[in-house]
Amino acid sequence: MLARELFDIRSILRKQGIIFAYSGYVTEAVLSGVGEAIKQKLALDDADTKTLRSVFAVFVEQMQNMIRYSAEKVPNSAAELPLIEMRYGVLTIGREGDDYVVHAGNLVARSDVERLRERLSEIRSMNKEELRAMHKERLRAGPEKGSKGAGLGLMEIARRASKPIEFDFTDVDDEHAFFTLKASV
Amino acid sequence: MQNLVIPASTRTPAIDFDFGKNYLKLSGESYPEDVTEFYNPVFSALDAYLATLGPGSCRFDFELIYLNSSSAKAVMMLMDKLDAAAAKGAAVDVHWFYDEEDDTMQELGEEFGEDLENAKFHLEKMKADVG
Repeated sequence: MLARELFDIRSILRKQGIIFAYSGYVTEAVLSGVGEAIKQKLALDDADTKTLRSVFAVFVEQMQNMIRYSAEKVPNSAAELPLIEMRYGVLTIGREGDDYVVHAGNLVARSDVERLRERLSEIRSMNKEELRAMHKERLRAGPEKGSKGAGLGLMEIARRASKPIEFDFTDVDDEHAFFTLKASV
Repeated sequence: MQNLVIPASTRTPAIDFDFGKNYLKLSGESYPEDVTEFYNPVFSALDAYLATLGPGSCRFDFELIYLNSSSAKAVMMLMDKLDAAAAKGAAVDVHWFYDEEDDTMQELGEEFGEDLENAKFHLEKMKADVG
């Protein structure tokens, strides 16, 4: 039973072509460790330089988005400790045909869904030239309201992807929706 | 003035600021855990150096294999500082080296280069043995 349960989960993942799967609290240390393993695996696959760097770049932005923005946090009750925020996310890397696919998901506030959807739709509809122009403009403009970064991570993902990015939302409860973003390289 | 030399780590680039030779270099990969913490001392050292440069000349080489989106912001700030020194009369040459197998880094270099109004920008391929 014990082996069967976990093996079944593994089988579901493997059937979908998934090479790496992480579900849990994401930290910068997880990013470092999994990132190194991804580099090694792609090097063993004989992936070309551009593919390797692009998969890695998408992975880094997806991870950092979850680390910073996931709405599912560990409650931090130890008031005497420095504020440690741990946030929950799911990330998989797999193959679909000739593509590498980096797929990430986390909870977001339902009140943020429209804003995110608009921004992602805009990015998704842009060609590489438009993305380049927008990236340049936003790099100079500085962080948008409600963002801890310059909003550049999503653009970087779209620029590195070989196909339009895909995203989706599904409501989880009154306050939260599950957000997922998939990029193929 | 004290040179600034920071060896590369997995997530941070090597900094090699040789102020005596007016030759500054940033190379490797940049996706620090904390961008501000890593780049603040670099900004301070560059500010102090540029303040003394006057009409002198300096060269800054960017030899980056990879940088994440938050590091791009830091690189833009370095470029702005160099361009401001050039506006005040310094002869500043900025070289952006890119791996020819990664056109994203070439495009990013072009983006930065377009914004330099006074510093001279050079876009160059990395030598094959780098990276």
